[in-house]
Amino acid sequence: MNEVKIKSNNLNVFYGDKQALFDVNLDLNEKEVTALIGPSGCGKSTFIRCINRMNDVIDICKVTGNIEIDGVEINDENLDVVSLRERVGMVFQKPNPFPKSIYDNISYGPKIHGKGETKSELDEIVERSLKKAALWEEVKDRLDEPGTGLSGGQQQRLCIARAISVNPEVILMDEPCSALDPIATAKIEELIDELKKTYTIVIVTHSMAQAVRVSQKTGFFHLGKLIEVGKTEKIFKNPDNKMTQDYITGRFG
Amino acid sequence: MTKEQRLKKRHSAERRFRFYGIASICVALLFVLILVNNIFSKGSSAFMKTVIDVEVFYDPELIEIENGASEENIREADFYDITIETLLKSYPAKNLDEENELIDLFTTDAEIEIKKAFLENNNLIGKKINLEITSSDDIDQLHKGNYPRDLPEDRRRISNFQLKIYDTLVENNKINKNFNNYYFNNGDSRDPELAGIGGALVGSFYSIIICLLLAFPVAVLASIYLEEFAPKNKITDFIEININNLAAVPSIVYGLLALQILLATIQLPRSTPLVAGITLALMTLPRIIIPCRASLKAVPPSIREGALAVGASKFQSVFHHVVPLSLPGTLSGTIIGLAQALGETAPLILIGMVAFVVDIPSTPIDPSSSLPVQVYLWSESAERGFVEKTSATIMMLLSFLIVMNFIAVYLRQKFEKRWN
Repeated sequence: MNEVKIKSNNLNVFYGDKQALFDVNLDLNEKEVTALIGPSGCGKSTFIRCINRMNDVIDICKVTGNIEIDGVEINDENLDVVSLRERVGMVFQKPNPFPKSIYDNISYGPKIHGKGETKSELDEIVERSLKKAALWEEVKDRLDEPGTGLSGGQQQRLCIARAISVNPEVILMDEPCSALDPIATAKIEELIDELKKTYTIVIVTHSMAQAVRVSQKTGFFHLGKLIEVGKTEKIFKNPDNKMTQDYITGRFG
Repeated sequence: MTKEQRLKKRHSAERRFRFYGIASICVALLFVLILVNNIFSKGSSAFMKTVIDVEVFYDPELIEIENGASEENIREADFYDITIETLLKSYPAKNLDEENELIDLFTTDAEIEIKKAFLENNNLIGKKINLEITSSDDIDQLHKGNYPRDLPEDRRRISNFQLKIYDTLVENNKINKNFNNYYFNNGDSRDPELAGIGGALVGSFYSIIICLLLAFPVAVLASIYLEEFAPKNKITDFIEININNLAAVPSIVYGLLALQILLATIQLPRSTPLVAGITLALMTLPRIIIPCRASLKAVPPSIREGALAVGASKFQSVFHHVVPLSLPGTLSGTIIGLAQALGETAPLILIGMVAFVVDIPSTPIDPSSSLPVQVYLWSESAERGFVEKTSATIMMLLSFLIVMNFIAVYLRQKFEKRWN
């Protein structure tokens, strides 16, 4: 068992008057893939958006409780979210490359964090990130073409490359394959398997099969509560909770 | 109702709707056609002027200067006698009345034209040259066919004798049409043949530039702040509602505001492009803010999130990604706002731009006219020559507006990004 990287403690999230998460206590292990499953609107995405403080963007959103990364509290007003997000990258449901060249998509992050001072350093980061995202062979000859011109699956891998370009410790993935076809999905899953050697990965997914394939640990959310969490094998073969059992066998969803 | 009846009814409803649509497009096109046709048929002749070919003899006895005189001396010299002599030679007149009528066929600036020809070629003393002198407005309109000849003489501005001279000149090929340089180079004038839009063009240009310099940065910064940074609360809601209200305020109200504050209180110079520009900027501001905010809003939130997720600050995500992407919409909104400002008349009348200004303004604080106000001024003048000038000026104004709108559409289509 790997060490705990992220630890949430009595995490509550409110959107205005509506409570979206109720006392979530969840530990995420280093260099492991944790899958979060549950019906739509159950708070999975809300939870991972707490880890890189993406909920700050929403005015009416209020977060109480604690989240620690490597033992350091991040749900703290004085924390600099920029350096937090440098450590915690994110990949969204819909591929959202910048309408710029492939090269600029990748080099943007390192540039604003001062990680690539010279052109050759940036070139190297771009190549390394694209290779890690298994996209290099497909795009190496057209780095100056717009990222939005790639296929959906390539765009999503470009977004993954963009996320790893700043060399984060954690990558959050919010249903990264829901807009992709099965072949593109398979490529991303393969990639996730590879990436977990270096990064701590949290993935929200609606596909049970995907959770089984890619994750070591699974958490089941329902109506804002974390119902059950455990080793993926156990959750899918022999869950403790009746609700989990019902959900994974497709009795509700 | 049976199925067939319902189907028939549905089909006839669709046909009816298509007919209404086509009919309304036809009506709209008809109105545009009438407008354009009316303006073109009246205005296009203003770009030409009628000139009369005369022979000028720079008689050394009638001017006090010599060949090689300095430019200053020539400008001060009196060319009146030569002018009268020249004009009288163009047709035999028997008495003083006839002589006056003959001279009236030419523009009042005939002396200036003769002097100008001399200035261009400094050694004409004792020589004869053929010169095309601009005709008076009455002959100009007669030659362009805008003047009825069959009225009784006491109801015509042109006497029978003048008509006779005109016919003789036409017979001898002495009357021609030339490009009307006065229309573009001159300021306003009481004489239609000398009046031009030069002053109005420069005045409008200065006003629009000042309007752009004031309104654009304020509007862009205000929209970026309101759209991206301002907290969503009662105060910003209130500001938003009022920006929309301001865009709907009648322009004459801005004129009154400028009259009170800029002219009466701050005492800025009246009738100037400076005041016009400030007034138009006030008016244009909300009209730029609205499309500018709309184009910021049109940038999908996923772009902002993408930037934030790699660790860009709020400021970086806005200025590196959102603002550049909204630029085409912002610029086209600005140009359309400026085009509206260019055609605005009411506030300019209130700040005194309706004054009769002959000189072409050299700075934005000189009294000046502007294109729409010039249209307004000339449309009220009685002389026939101003009718075509009014239409021609409308043509100029419309062509500026069309060009600006075209640029706006071009910018939007050329640079607008597709998101996915």
